[in-house]
Amino acid sequence: MTAKNGLITDSFQVVKKTQAEPAPLTVREKELQTLEQFDLDWRFGPCTGIGRLQRWERAAVHGLNPPKEIKELLLRAGADPEYTQCLWRDYPL
Amino acid sequence: MFSDLSALRPGSSLLCPPDSESQGPLFDRVKPAYSPCSENFKLGDRSFSRQYAHIYATRLMQMRPLLSERAQQKWGVGVQIRNLCDLQMGEQCCIVGTMFKHMELQPSILKEISEEHNLLPQPVRMKFISESDQLILEDELQRIKLEGKIDAGTFVTGSVIAIYGAENNDGKFTVEDFCTADLPLQTPRPSLTADRFVLLASGLGLGGSHGDSMLALQLLVDMVTGQLGDQGEQSGAATISRVVLAGNLLSQSTQDKEASTRAKYLTKKTQAGSVEAIRLLDELLLQLVASVPVDVMPGQYDPTNYTLPQQPLHRCMFPLSTTYPTLQLTTNPYQASIDSLRFLGTSGQNVSDIQKYSSLDCHLDILENTLRLRHLAPTAPDTLGCYPFYQKDPFILEECPHVYFSGNAPFYMSRRIEGPDGQEVLLVAIPEFCSTRTACLVNLRTLECEPISFSSFSAEEDEETEMNVSH
Repeated sequence: MTAKNGLITDSFQVVKKTQAEPAPLTVREKELQTLEQFDLDWRFGPCTGIGRLQRWERAAVHGLNPPKEIKELLLRAGADPEYTQCLWRDYPL
Repeated sequence: MFSDLSALRPGSSLLCPPDSESQGPLFDRVKPAYSPCSENFKLGDRSFSRQYAHIYATRLMQMRPLLSERAQQKWGVGVQIRNLCDLQMGEQCCIVGTMFKHMELQPSILKEISEEHNLLPQPVRMKFISESDQLILEDELQRIKLEGKIDAGTFVTGSVIAIYGAENNDGKFTVEDFCTADLPLQTPRPSLTADRFVLLASGLGLGGSHGDSMLALQLLVDMVTGQLGDQGEQSGAATISRVVLAGNLLSQSTQDKEASTRAKYLTKKTQAGSVEAIRLLDELLLQLVASVPVDVMPGQYDPTNYTLPQQPLHRCMFPLSTTYPTLQLTTNPYQASIDSLRFLGTSGQNVSDIQKYSSLDCHLDILENTLRLRHLAPTAPDTLGCYPFYQKDPFILEECPHVYFSGNAPFYMSRRIEGPDGQEVLLVAIPEFCSTRTACLVNLRTLECEPISFSSFSAEEDEETEMNVSH
């Protein structure tokens, strides 16, 4: 119900809780996010069951122009399964 | 023709007494240039921890540019090629995708084990098509039902085509025209001076319960190695440069399914039926490889893997014949270049699978269909067993063959077809030897094929048995 001569905020002060900003992503988390976006990109075909580098190479062979940064990222990463295997690495087949 | 060559020498030299001084004329077998090209069908380490979606994705990735080009050639350069997600209702456009045929009668494991249906076991069917089959086109993201000027009987699941038409109100796509990838480019055929032949045979059926075709098989081997007939025949046999055995070297009866399910103590002393049959095959091959290069392809009933591409039979099974370098054990889709003529063929599993799931019956029509679709086995992996490829689909034809064959047909058929860019292909449906006793001879110079049949009359008819080798 609106008050007769004013707004409700005259009697009840506005106290806005400032939302705490999310913690800035670390470099590792940013890289993992770009790789996940690469996994979910429909243009390069299904991502399950094969490694990310293999999928990148398949896309390159068929002329789909996958972004080169992904390949550099994967080559720098080494043997870390979070980088080399796809998003659904824990789910067999 | 092969029969003309043997008739060239007049007079029969078999009727004169043997000449003890001179040895008689020696005929050298022709040696054509041969290079095997089946490398992309050989699998190294096999990993089955992948789904089959990858094959369909790469198939579409590889065929899309080819089909876009064909569509522009057929319907004009300005034709709109759209993804299914961008379709506007009523707009005339072209879509490219993989065909899926929804068949009611297709055997489905889910229907079999579902308790709601309480299905009685189905009678054995030869064809699984029906009037109510629906065609659906799928691209990377969506699928759409098709109706209109398209015949569901002639298409099979897995073929990639381009369709011209418009989407109508109820969400289906009305087809006005369609086009396939058609034949790939072909290197021109070299012109040869002399006649050279390649013998194609399949379905030898060794180890079978009835040995009726063993005599015909021995006659075939004797004819090819030049031990049959007089000088005319022998000089004719010297022009056979290669023998290709296209699958089903063992008979179906060697595949004893019960032995694998029966308890071990019952099967202890029995030997698998294929052991004796392979020994027979080794002895037969020994006679052949001593004289002519032989390519052996595995077939449906041979001891190798079930999924396509079937790997070569292992050399340890042929201890006698592997000592000769002329024996080549090859994969099931077989590709080779003989005298610069490209040969491509299978043992017939892809053709019989398409026969089951479409209204086409003639093996040659199916062969032509697969060539025009530019894909050896479109039904793999849906109804035909296939290895889960992910990088490339090796069944897509990159180069047009000059001779395209498939083994184990019910009878001999051959035809020559022309492609849109001047390609010429000889299609051969090699008959099953154990039932028809017929093999095929392909003339490399004229690109023609003729059958050669071996028959024998049984002893019940006359007092003496007659051997008849007819061309």
